[in-house]
Amino acid sequence: MSAPAAPLPSSTPALKVLGTYLLPMWPRVLLLAALLIGSTLLTLTLPLLIARFVDTSTAALTAGGEGLGALGTLTRLSLMYIGVALIVQLLSAGATYLGAVVGWSATNRLRTDLTAHLLGLDMKYHKERTPGEMIERIDGDVTALSNFFSQFAVRVFGAALLLTGSVVMFFRENAWLGAGVLAFVALTLLGMNRVRRRGIEPTRLEREGSAKLFGFIEERLSGLDDVRSLGGGAYTLRKFLGVQGSFFRQLMTAGVERTAVWQFSMLMFTFGYVGVIGAAVGLYAAGTITVGTALLLYQYMSMVEEPIDQLTQQLQDVQKAGASLLRVGEILSLTSQLPSGTRLLPAGALSLDFDDVSFAYEGEDDPSARVLSQLTFQLAAGRTLGLLGRTGSGKSTLTRLVSRLYDPTSGALRLGGVSTLEADLTSLRSRVAVVTQDVQLFQASVRDNLTFFDPGISDERVRSALTEVGLLDWAEELPEGLGTSLPAGSLSAGEAQLLAFARVMLRDPGLIILDEPSSRLDPATEARLTAAMNRLLSGRSAIVIAHRLDTVARADDILVLGAGRVLEYGAREALAADTGSHYSRLLRAGQLGGSDEGEIDALEDDIREVLA
Amino acid sequence: MTAAPQTPTKQSPSEVPTFPLMRRLFAYRPRLFVLNVLAWSGFHALPAFFSYFVSRIFAHLGELQTAGAAGAAGAPGSIRQVAITAAWIAVVGFAVTRFARFGVFYFAVRAWFRLWFTLDALLRRNLLGWLLLSRGSRRLPDTPAEAVSRFRDDVDDVAAYTEVWVDAGGFLIYSVVAITLMWRVDPTITLVVCAPLLLVVLFVQRLSPQIRSYRRRMRQATARVTDFLGETFGAVSAVKLSAHEGQMVAHLARLGETRKAAALKDVLLTELIKGVNTNMINLAVGAVLLLGANLILRGRMNVGDFVLFFALLPRLTGSMGYFGDMIARHRRTGVSFERMQRLLQDAPMPEVVAHHELYLNGQLPELPTRAGATAFETLEVRGLSAVHDSGRGLIEASFRLTRGEFVVVTGRIGSGKSTLLRALLGLLPHSGGEVVWNGEQVTDLASFFVPPRSAYTAQLPQLFSDTLEENVLMGQSAAGEALERALRLAVMQQDLSELPQGLSTQVGARGVKLSGGQVQRAAVARMLAQNADLLVFDDVSSALDAETERQLWLGLSTELPNATCLVVSHRRAALLRADRIIVLDEGHVADQGRLGELLARSPQMRALWDGEEVAG
Repeated sequence: MSAPAAPLPSSTPALKVLGTYLLPMWPRVLLLAALLIGSTLLTLTLPLLIARFVDTSTAALTAGGEGLGALGTLTRLSLMYIGVALIVQLLSAGATYLGAVVGWSATNRLRTDLTAHLLGLDMKYHKERTPGEMIERIDGDVTALSNFFSQFAVRVFGAALLLTGSVVMFFRENAWLGAGVLAFVALTLLGMNRVRRRGIEPTRLEREGSAKLFGFIEERLSGLDDVRSLGGGAYTLRKFLGVQGSFFRQLMTAGVERTAVWQFSMLMFTFGYVGVIGAAVGLYAAGTITVGTALLLYQYMSMVEEPIDQLTQQLQDVQKAGASLLRVGEILSLTSQLPSGTRLLPAGALSLDFDDVSFAYEGEDDPSARVLSQLTFQLAAGRTLGLLGRTGSGKSTLTRLVSRLYDPTSGALRLGGVSTLEADLTSLRSRVAVVTQDVQLFQASVRDNLTFFDPGISDERVRSALTEVGLLDWAEELPEGLGTSLPAGSLSAGEAQLLAFARVMLRDPGLIILDEPSSRLDPATEARLTAAMNRLLSGRSAIVIAHRLDTVARADDILVLGAGRVLEYGAREALAADTGSHYSRLLRAGQLGGSDEGEIDALEDDIREVLA
Repeated sequence: MTAAPQTPTKQSPSEVPTFPLMRRLFAYRPRLFVLNVLAWSGFHALPAFFSYFVSRIFAHLGELQTAGAAGAAGAPGSIRQVAITAAWIAVVGFAVTRFARFGVFYFAVRAWFRLWFTLDALLRRNLLGWLLLSRGSRRLPDTPAEAVSRFRDDVDDVAAYTEVWVDAGGFLIYSVVAITLMWRVDPTITLVVCAPLLLVVLFVQRLSPQIRSYRRRMRQATARVTDFLGETFGAVSAVKLSAHEGQMVAHLARLGETRKAAALKDVLLTELIKGVNTNMINLAVGAVLLLGANLILRGRMNVGDFVLFFALLPRLTGSMGYFGDMIARHRRTGVSFERMQRLLQDAPMPEVVAHHELYLNGQLPELPTRAGATAFETLEVRGLSAVHDSGRGLIEASFRLTRGEFVVVTGRIGSGKSTLLRALLGLLPHSGGEVVWNGEQVTDLASFFVPPRSAYTAQLPQLFSDTLEENVLMGQSAAGEALERALRLAVMQQDLSELPQGLSTQVGARGVKLSGGQVQRAAVARMLAQNADLLVFDDVSSALDAETERQLWLGLSTELPNATCLVVSHRRAALLRADRIIVLDEGHVADQGRLGELLARSPQMRALWDGEEVAG
């Protein structure tokens, strides 16, 4: 097997992945190998039958009169030929199917492994990437690998077997010819491998371009309303043409580079065939071989050509797969900047400690890039903290540190006395519940939306969570109840927010972060939520962010942030009583915020009079 | 407005006019297409000629053997010499045709890539172009991620079908030449050998409905996987925060299993067809042996004739199989066209293959300047209705807007506020009513309500992976001053000073690098940069704090006194500023008027104002 091994030296990482994902399926892989070996051996006997046929018939003709006596032998040879051909067909069909089974099983596992790995990466990674790009990474790349997995075994291995067998047959006929063919095969495969490498880099660029193009399309399609209503169609199309144009040029380069292999093999085989036929004619003229043998040589040459052709074609896939593997490897080698600790968070309500915490999204040591600066405060277990501040003052960022989407640049943050760096990440995330500004819904059933596709949560629990947020009636009215698929956009933002609440109800968090939970609710609906919210918060710690003061009216403590610093922190009632505090000034200014906007204040007073 | 709501055109597969569509597609680059056909014809037909030369070589060798043996004593050396020379001449013919094929391939492959990728690009451009530029409301039938698979897989399928047509001529020439050569040897054997090949074609044809349904199921299963991945990573922070990564991955594994089952069926059938095609050659050779045995013994057939069959048959089977495959590919292409049509909905079928410039060399044209429009005076909405599948929506809403007004639409969750805006702007199909602008009825809301007439900011606005500046301008060549004003009015000044790269900041996928409030403000700035008369805000204030919101409304009223605003909000800051308030309840306009009046007479308004639940 020295010859077929030649084209694969650069595929070592590929072989490693092959090992990881194929070894667990060894019985099937073994069966696959058996099928391939069987069909290859049988294929090799076919030219022998033909050579025997030709020589028998020529001999009979030469012998003259009793020629027809050989008819029985010839008929038997023909029938054998047909029989063997049929068996070969069955075996190779079986091998192909089995190859596909193995390939799909392996790549499905790789897809889930990749997804799990990517989900484990931190938000810094995800911020840079579109969902479309992720799809291309996980599905596009892996599908290229799927061809590799399933076809590599069947085609490449099968071809290698056939190639080896054919070369052996040449040796059987004539050692010199055998040596010549062997040299030819080695030269062709080595050359092809060299030419093939030229295709790897353009192929990588091509796949990058493809990810970019489809990422562009996905993003624009999901923002189609924004584009259309702003008359941005022509502009977007123009941008698209730019992205597509560069993808086109990448495709052309990669395509031409990749077919260079094919081109090379075609040239080599032109030489090869002419050489073998020339040799056959020469040997025959010298009287060394019979016509049947000359024909045998020609046929075995096509048995050399076929697998090399196959290898060439598969090498294109191997190339694609190589580029994909490279990137799959890149992804798998990325590690989260937020390694999980091992300590579990205590049960019950969680206390929260901020100890001189600073944070910057970019530029670690640059104080001007800080979003949060030297925050120090303690929230006792079971208390509710009202978080106030302008947009951009760092409120959301503060909560992202608590849920450990990011780690502080400096300082320490403790939940229930456990540093977030030391806490087990899953434990932390399941004990800290977050209702964010945007509720992310899936195009899936109501149930799956609430449970995040966890079949282990009973319908009863889902119903009771829906009851608590007042959505049960709504859910029961749906055509298929909890199993009804949520069509995109069928929920108002307010209802989506209620669903997000129900999600939290399904868990038993020790700390709840409500990031502007009521931002998209009209006051009437918000009132519906208040009761449920109170139930949820009781016995738990909470951070409630709101721009409306009445949302934080039930808070125990108040923290006012300004430009990433603590402007004020204390018990709500104490702050309200202190006329000099930010909080009491805000209270006085009312929810309009603008204490200097006298006109509106006056108007509001007028309205109060009307109402009275 | 008369246009009926857009219902997807139901087009059953048999109605997909695949041939005319493909013809139109080929006509996009006619010369390139013809060049491809010629080059590939040469490429595919040449093997017939070198097979002929091979058979001549063996014919001469055979002659020699028989002659040599029969007349061992009398055969003169010259006859032997002539036969060997003839064999060597055939070897030269063989070499020449082989080299010629190598040369043809060099050009053919380049021409083919150019054609293939150009047609790919055209299809994608047309899909996106229609979604972006067509009249009427555009709603994707599925998730964006699934729509992307139309752009990727279905486009690829259609363009790859071109290959079938490019190759057809060559295969046809080859088949004709091959059959003629074989016929000259023995018609009976030729017929017996070719008959099963035709059977294969029929067999494939019988299987093609099956192929299609397997293919469709496979695609659907694939789309479910990609959709799920798209949604998972679209909501990656929610997934992470909920600590449910494991369950999501488990769900992906389940979807993967379904897909595997569908794929295996598809593979099995495709491989079966392929296997029958390729292995048919061995059976055909067996048949030649069986039938030829008699003829060869009677001296009516020689070794050269045998070799002719052996050499021609593989490619002939290939060609026949190719014609069978052509039928299957044709059907699959029909499926792909059908799916693309589903995405385009009401587009006329030829739209997807319409001819447009693609600028593949990278030299993009200047953006066309926007058509002007007469200044806004009045807008009258009469009986506008738009009902969702759920039965909720907007029912016969009527109201008026005049230049410079600030009108607030308010109401409870699900009362139809967003639906009202979206139906008015043509983002949703409406089922009744009319819209009159400056006294003239508007026939196509979607293409009418764009800048410079109106601009819109959605409740959850989308930004795109690009710089902040690109996002705000959207190709508008707004001079520094106009951009400055848009940013100032959207209260973005402070954000800009905080962002390290200011306007050149890359906002990330869907604006994820900005805070929720920053995305909202950037979207407002984007709307203001379009210089529209009518500004439509769908609850943009929800991510803004009271102070920011106050600044926004104040800025608009002082700097853009002539701008007309239609605002969905339940915030007091907006309600207090309103010239008029439209109160929606269960999809109906419950009342409209000034805040004071409404508070006095409308219980819904009072409930909304006080944040109290209305009884019941």
